[in-house]
Amino acid sequence: MADDVTFESPVIKTYPAPDGTRHGADRHDGSLTLSDSSSTAKTILRAGPETGVASRIGVGFGTSRTEPDVLIAGQRPGEWILLGSAAANRAVIDGLDLSGFVSVIDHTHSRALFRLTGADAASVLEKVCSLDWSDTMTPDGATASASVAKVTCDIIRADRAGIRSYLIACDRSFGQYLFDAILDAGEEFGITPVTLQESSRCRPVAPGPWRPPPP
Amino acid sequence: MLLVPCPNCGPRNAADLHYVGETGARPDPGTATPEEWRHYLYLKGNRAGLLRETWYCRSGCRRYFVLERDTTTNQFADPPLPGPEIEGKT
Amino acid sequence: MSRLLYQPGEVIDRSRPVGLTWNSKAIRGFEGDTIASALTANGVRIVSRSMKYHRPRGYVTNDYWDPNGFVQVGDDPNVRSAHRLVEPGMIIDAQNVWPSLDHDLKAVNGLVSRFLTAGFYYKTFMRPRKLWPAYEKVLATFAPGGKVDLDSPHHYHDKRYTHPDVVVAGGGPAGMASAAAAAEAGARVLLVEHHHHLGGHLLWGSADDRALARHLAADVAAAGVEVLTDSTVTGRYDDNWTAIVQRNHPVAVERLVKARAKVMIVAPGLIERPYVFAGNDKPGVMMSGAVRRFVNMYAVRPGTTAVVFTANADGDAAAEDLDRVGVEVARVVDARQGENIVRAHGGARSISSVELADGVKVSCDLLVTATGWTAPTTLLNMAGDRPAYDESSARFFPSRPIGTVLATGGIAGDGSADQLVEHARATGRLAAARAGAAAQRLQAATPRAVAVDGPEPDGLADTRAPLPRHPHPGLFRSSTHGIVDFSEDVGSKDLVAAAQEGYDSVELLKRYTTVTMGPAQGKLETVNAVAVLAEARGETISEVGTTVWRPPYAPITLGALGGRVFEPVRVSSIQPWHEANGATGILAGQWIRPDHYGDPAAEVRNTRRNVGIIDVTPLGKLDLRGPDVAKLLNQLYVNKWSKLAVGSVRYGLMCAEDGVVLDDGVTGRLGDQHYLMTTTSSGAGSVWEWAENWLQTEHPNWQVHVTPVTTGFTSINVAGPKSRTLMTRLVDGIDLDPEAFAYMQVRTGTIADIGGCFMWRIGFTGELSFELHVPAGHGRHVWEALLAVGDDLGIKPFGLEAQRIMRLEKGHFIVGQDTDGLTKAPATGMGQLVKLDKDDFAGKPELAWALEDAGAPVIVAIQPSDPRIVPDEAAQIVREHTDEIIGRITSSRLSPTLNRSICLGQVLPEAAAPGSELTVVLVDGRRVTARVMQHHAHFDPDGERLRG
Repeated sequence: MADDVTFESPVIKTYPAPDGTRHGADRHDGSLTLSDSSSTAKTILRAGPETGVASRIGVGFGTSRTEPDVLIAGQRPGEWILLGSAAANRAVIDGLDLSGFVSVIDHTHSRALFRLTGADAASVLEKVCSLDWSDTMTPDGATASASVAKVTCDIIRADRAGIRSYLIACDRSFGQYLFDAILDAGEEFGITPVTLQESSRCRPVAPGPWRPPPP
Repeated sequence: MLLVPCPNCGPRNAADLHYVGETGARPDPGTATPEEWRHYLYLKGNRAGLLRETWYCRSGCRRYFVLERDTTTNQFADPPLPGPEIEGKT
Repeated sequence: MSRLLYQPGEVIDRSRPVGLTWNSKAIRGFEGDTIASALTANGVRIVSRSMKYHRPRGYVTNDYWDPNGFVQVGDDPNVRSAHRLVEPGMIIDAQNVWPSLDHDLKAVNGLVSRFLTAGFYYKTFMRPRKLWPAYEKVLATFAPGGKVDLDSPHHYHDKRYTHPDVVVAGGGPAGMASAAAAAEAGARVLLVEHHHHLGGHLLWGSADDRALARHLAADVAAAGVEVLTDSTVTGRYDDNWTAIVQRNHPVAVERLVKARAKVMIVAPGLIERPYVFAGNDKPGVMMSGAVRRFVNMYAVRPGTTAVVFTANADGDAAAEDLDRVGVEVARVVDARQGENIVRAHGGARSISSVELADGVKVSCDLLVTATGWTAPTTLLNMAGDRPAYDESSARFFPSRPIGTVLATGGIAGDGSADQLVEHARATGRLAAARAGAAAQRLQAATPRAVAVDGPEPDGLADTRAPLPRHPHPGLFRSSTHGIVDFSEDVGSKDLVAAAQEGYDSVELLKRYTTVTMGPAQGKLETVNAVAVLAEARGETISEVGTTVWRPPYAPITLGALGGRVFEPVRVSSIQPWHEANGATGILAGQWIRPDHYGDPAAEVRNTRRNVGIIDVTPLGKLDLRGPDVAKLLNQLYVNKWSKLAVGSVRYGLMCAEDGVVLDDGVTGRLGDQHYLMTTTSSGAGSVWEWAENWLQTEHPNWQVHVTPVTTGFTSINVAGPKSRTLMTRLVDGIDLDPEAFAYMQVRTGTIADIGGCFMWRIGFTGELSFELHVPAGHGRHVWEALLAVGDDLGIKPFGLEAQRIMRLEKGHFIVGQDTDGLTKAPATGMGQLVKLDKDDFAGKPELAWALEDAGAPVIVAIQPSDPRIVPDEAAQIVREHTDEIIGRITSSRLSPTLNRSICLGQVLPEAAAPGSELTVVLVDGRRVTARVMQHHAHFDPDGERLRG
């Protein structure tokens, strides 16, 4: 692949950042941010129960494990998602015995991925999702699938340095909608968007919602 | 809203699932008579009492499963929460 | 002015005056005032006119439930003025009065009230039927309610989900004590109070009452209870799914809170019941609670000379309160001594005297009644309880214990403050224990949750000592008739008349007379209505029974129900380009897609002449892997898949078990055990679930992984005679020679430097075409690269409309457009695809029978005789010279290629033979002729162009 062709995120609108930066910046003080992490490599691993994959990987359905360069989450029975760099994901896969009924599918382009971080992150989520985000029902590491603002999402609680943080993945085509829906829900808590550096090849487009004309 | 005991995810709101319908055997397509096949397609028992039903956990684990529910009380055979009828017993 | 000097329990802030406008007059209140207290402090006695008779009305309950207090506030109609707090600059007007509140001409209704009796609408306006529109117009001017301003800005309504251990409905002493006790026992508690302050009746009570309220509020705060005031638990549904409307959210106008409570505590207190007697709806007749709230909470004098009719301690206390603040209490009429009132006399502004049972008339401008209580058991009803009437206490009580819904406070019984608080605290502890057990159960069943350790909590058994029930006289109606339902203007005489007409069951009576159906939702009038009916039937209240309380507990605005509106939309990664390049969008399902870029006909011509590209990303795409994919495909599609070679694609037709066409698309074999299936855009989700259903329920031993990748790829169809030339400029690693890459084949390679692309040769447009599936993060790059390198070839983008025209020129049907819920595979002209020699596939028996059915409509290509006439889609096809429908047009366009109208339609077999002449009825009623064509394809029926 030519070097000048960069990955384009589904979040293409630009948002004025209060800190003066063009794309906002992640903060680590407990204040609320929504970061676009869509460029993260996402690898789906699916394996039948008769294979040794489940025991080798050691992550059950509904849970996750964070390794230095990759997060492994059991997002459905017999199905895991790896979130990391392409190389780190591959390293995990290469360490498995893939014999038997095992599928490895690159989902990098299929899913938008956002990270909602901050002390109020659960308060934002409970405005758009009906799951119980309490520490007993959804502790750090828990993973679940649910409707978020009417879009089915995979959600992983992955706290950062003791601050609540959730990874939220949805179909790429819903990415811009969902990013805006979560921003809207987080407005009362002072949420800050953090977007990816845009590709140099992509022309800027006018921000603002775009709707088809009435029929 | 009913809390449905998904065997994989745990209890979920009914809106998270798709109600497929009463669970029944599919007739052999090679030998089924029109009466048998259309009974399978269209006729439901709609029993008052315990009923076996198929659900699909659309927002969660994406698995199909069968649950037993009492259609007169809306209670699942193994309810996720103690129901209103169960005084003092949890 | 009627404002009193400082009262120890007042909730107003005298340092913060608030200016308001009432019916265009400037008035003044204080922060903390309700509109009602501000108006009353300014001497206002009449606030509204009654619904039917336009009788002058004043405050009667002086709280949320006041049936007479509805006003217009700015553009906000039907505001409950005894609940809504004043805000600076509020513009308040009386509703439904003309020309003014004091001189309402519609009060003439009162003179004809004997015609406006029960069932009036049913009886009077039924005949002649043709006059109904005229009746309706006149009646509409009498409809109650404020004015809706359609230009009002949309307010921000919000929604929130929460999962407390315990929800407490009601923030009076019982609610506060139970909430605090539950929280102290470790439960997460949400306490919901309907009014603005915690405290309930303690707020307008004695100094001791207020001290208790402060004490309990401190307990609530210390225990970490989440408190929502000015919020209502409106409903309780299965498994304690609880709807709460929060009206005082700092950001949203209203917020609908959906709480999944493990246990609910119902502590709404009691609602004071009006007394039915002649003149009971006149201004100046109030209940004891109304008076005590005016005096003690708002420091407002509700009158100058009072008669107090009392049957209980609250009535006695009202008399004491009035006496203390200097209102002359002319007479206390004690029901416990057998005394009674029969009539309130007086003019339009206020009552002037009260006539007692012994004939004595006492002059006054205020009549206070304290005749008993209604238990608002709504939430218990919703949990399955059927409360029972206790004659000695003259009210309903819960009748059966419910494990996760616990009642406490006045709804459960009477007693001293200590007794009530102790019962409430025991209820809170019981709720916490049961919620703890439920939480353990939820955690144990949920893999992601923290594992349960420790034993099940103690204290699950209900060991609460029941509250005593105090005797209370059963006082409902005096010897005279009066109003039962203030909101609906229904009197006791109407109810008696309705019962005599045969509407003598309580549920029938309610529907016939509309009693209890107004905004008070029966909180004030239900028990009186039942009592009047019981009297008319000569039975007891228990024998008559009551109506079932249903949700909502209090009316809900449509805004609160709507909440935040979530309307997800999907876009392809090329959408920014479409928007920047003049595309006219169309919403197709959830997808926003380009319909065209200005001139769809030109887009068709350019594609047929040169080369065009269309963004077809919404096309459903399923990645299929595993050794048994061919078995799955054989099961899902009517045709055969066992021999599909690697590198080939095949069209498939999918039917449901009833044989009706479900979806269609092409599937390509990318590798030995790897396929890519495409579905219609709208079928992407349902076909995935359909495939999973077969795999999980019928064939769990088949090894297939189905993974949706619809938006993982940006899909671009490159169509037109110059498409191969274009593709050779961008493709690496794929031999595009027609021999090497033939029609209906698939290849994997690099396009515009992007690896991992699929490309197959198919042709919905009928042109030589390549469908590209590009990793979506690079979709826009490939699109722009195609346009850049194809400039000299005349490349132009085309939209959905041009594609629809071209597919119609080729006679390809669209599932759901040209097929319907009855169209089985043979009717599509694809009967030959159905392979009955396969062991099994979805819908096989029905399709076997359908292939022998000669009577079902079939899809045919149709051309109107006049090429300029383009029939509307869904235009009927009828048997000549009759109105008998034998088919319909399903797709219809003007073909830019053929320069004539072309259609697809469904017709009965009798008219389906090529060359058959059809009669098509246009929308304007004209009948035109049309002809059935030889082939489905209007253009290039042999497909020479697309195979090239």
